[in-house]
Amino acid sequence: MERGRAVPYWALFVGPYGVYLLLFLVLPFANVALLSVYLHSPTKIAVAEFTAGNYAKLWEVYYASLFLRTLRLALVVTGVCVVLGYPLAYILARSTSRVLTVGLFLLIVPLMVSTVIRVFGWVVILGSEGLVNQALRRLGAPDGVRLLHTEGAVIVGLAQQSMPFMVLPIMAAIERIPPSLEEAARNLGASWSQMFARVIVPLSTPGLVSGALLVFSVSMSAFVTPALMGGRRERMVGQQIFEEVLTAYNWPGAASLTIVLAGLMLALVALALWATGRRARLETARR
Amino acid sequence: MTGRAPRALWPFVFVVYLLLLAPLVVVAVVSFGSTATFDFPPQGLSLRWYRAFVASESFVRAFRVSQAVGLLTALVATVVGALSAIGLVRLQWRGARVVETFFLSPVLVPHILLGAAVYLYLARLAWPTSSLTLLVGHIVIATPYVIRSVTAGLVGMDPRLEEAAMSLGASRPQAFVKVTLPLLRSSLVTGAVFAFIVSFSDINLALFLAGGNAPSLPVHIFSQIQFEADPSIAAASALQIVIVGGLILLVQRLFRLRLTV
Repeated sequence: MERGRAVPYWALFVGPYGVYLLLFLVLPFANVALLSVYLHSPTKIAVAEFTAGNYAKLWEVYYASLFLRTLRLALVVTGVCVVLGYPLAYILARSTSRVLTVGLFLLIVPLMVSTVIRVFGWVVILGSEGLVNQALRRLGAPDGVRLLHTEGAVIVGLAQQSMPFMVLPIMAAIERIPPSLEEAARNLGASWSQMFARVIVPLSTPGLVSGALLVFSVSMSAFVTPALMGGRRERMVGQQIFEEVLTAYNWPGAASLTIVLAGLMLALVALALWATGRRARLETARR
Repeated sequence: MTGRAPRALWPFVFVVYLLLLAPLVVVAVVSFGSTATFDFPPQGLSLRWYRAFVASESFVRAFRVSQAVGLLTALVATVVGALSAIGLVRLQWRGARVVETFFLSPVLVPHILLGAAVYLYLARLAWPTSSLTLLVGHIVIATPYVIRSVTAGLVGMDPRLEEAAMSLGASRPQAFVKVTLPLLRSSLVTGAVFAFIVSFSDINLALFLAGGNAPSLPVHIFSQIQFEADPSIAAASALQIVIVGGLILLVQRLFRLRLTV
């Protein structure tokens, strides 16, 4: 009796944000997809004549190397975050609740502060008149070392920004591993690193995968960090999109870049989910 | 105890926190400097750059924009997000999981792409960018934080409490307002605070949607860094760090919340 009425009643609750997302998330991306096959015109920005030219152009050396550089930087950043973040995730997962509270606070605050402010901090540290160079000069190094506007600076900046995205999911996954498993491995003679490699890492792989996906996606689509910390010649895709939208007014070009970047990331997420799902199926089959 | 982590791990912890906190600490310290350049440690302490920040019309206006858009975002996101969470948790229909994934997806869409997409969409609708379009964009990305926090609150709640109120004569809306809503208070406040912070800190959407006349604080800082190195940037940034850090500390202490993203 209640059922017939209950469903539409609660559906009213989901409606507002559903419609909102349709209007301001789905339609904008549908519009981008449409724009990406429009013809670019220097005078009218976009003409409603269908062309595959905006996509064909992405095979040119300039765009191909832009994508490859972005991909490479994102992979390096992901690697740095895995190596540095895994130990911290383990320590946090196995710490007392008091230490965890402080640890999480110090992890979340840097994450939630505006990207532009974190980048500003790096500019002050790494700039030509920055802290590192001031210190070097005091030690007697005559000329400043170029630290800012290098690829290394972009990697440091991006790693700083995305580290919490790596640590948090791995930490959550390690917390679900009973400490008794670790003790069992140790009692059976495994060294700590053997135990870590054979017990902790395999069992926390789902956390590693989601962390890596988040870090990779943040780095792939970075704009502010490469714009302020990167060199003029080593640009990333996000900068190209920004420029084609706001300064070059090549909207069809920006649209095709957006679709390819979003498509690349979607494909990667699907691949990772498929791989972990397949792995889980293999594990169950083995048992 | 055999489960203890070896000492070899501690250098990693040190390096990660150094990496995470160095830029924030440096910004905060430099903002109290007394010279016109960024010296670390500062050659003398002063509030010079805070005075310059307060005296700068453009910085104050940008701060006001960010504050207003942030508060309105928090308000709308909390109402819309709470409604969605209630609908998602209480709906017992097959599509609820799919809709939930859809509702949380704005967090995963790269914000630079979302900003560009909404900008191009507004251009097609001939809707000029302003603080209003910035608000429109921020509601998209802030609402999932409220949905997540209220969903967690609802899932952890005993449904029998509401049923008890109803068996004692309350109507369903009455039971909801008098029993469920007060129990959701901490989830609602946490969601609202995070919605505010997301809006207050955002730069990627704001670069596209804020409009040229009324940049938000992060956008203004961005253009200042590009064109000149005025230490009032440090004062504005330090203020941002204190506000964001203070709000997070508040919800963490107040509700003994386990922070996550």
